Amino acid sequence: MPGTTTRTKITTPSEREIRIERVVNASRDRVWRAYTEPALVAQWWGRGHRLVIERLELQRGGHWRWVEHGPNGVYGFEGRYREVTPPTRFVRSFEWDGMPAHVAIETVTLEDLGDEGTRIVIVMQMHTPEERDGFLQSGMQQGMDAAFAQLDGLVHNS
Amino acid sequence: MVQYSSADIDAAFAAVADPVRRGILERLGRAEASISELAGFFRMTLTGIKKHVAVLEDVRLVSSRKTGRVRTCRLGPRRLEKEAEWIEKYQRLMDARFDRLEAVLGRSKE
Repeated sequence: MPGTTTRTKITTPSEREIRIERVVNASRDRVWRAYTEPALVAQWWGRGHRLVIERLELQRGGHWRWVEHGPNGVYGFEGRYREVTPPTRFVRSFEWDGMPAHVAIETVTLEDLGDEGTRIVIVMQMHTPEERDGFLQSGMQQGMDAAFAQLDGLVHNS
Repeated sequence: MVQYSSADIDAAFAAVADPVRRGILERLGRAEASISELAGFFRMTLTGIKKHVAVLEDVRLVSSRKTGRVRTCRLGPRRLEKEAEWIEKYQRLMDARFDRLEAVLGRSKE
């Protein structure tokens, strides 16, 4: 897609990991709040789709379940918080309804860059290469849904 | 958490930077072949071909199995173009998510 800037860096450091990096123009405290306060999470994590925060128990062992209502389906994601260290890091298990029982471990680290903003680093660790590929494919599925949603928007606004 | 110095996918792309190894992938894309068939096809020594196949096996672009004294090579299990496509699509998903985050952070500035 010409003209589209991709400011998110995705790498596969090993066959069982996906690493995602993005610098956002905001202080670390604010990014932490956007990731941990239900009213704020609901506004962005679903990429514009309706996102229902069914659970967000921000403590070790706490349950999270976020459900995205896309134009072509409903995607539920859930797991448990394993480590919560405000405002720098949380670790949680991550399971997508579409791949039940394939649980990944998601580590989210927020690096304070001062005037430059905050670097978000997410590492998704899977048990097998097949799970990693399955996860990337599920992202592809949703990415296409997002593209369709944008297309819908264009069609209806023109 | 284990930190890796270089990306796995970079290693795969490095493996296909060599023209002989790209030739091997093209050849195996038509049909599986033994090491000696590959050596004959590329007019190389068995040792030379084995080295190239080993590089491709390391990044899982080629797999081989030995039956008796014959080692047969085939493509996979990895499919490079598929993986690159998944990553590109996944990147778009994450871009959309973080763009949205920045918009939200902009709104909640005060």
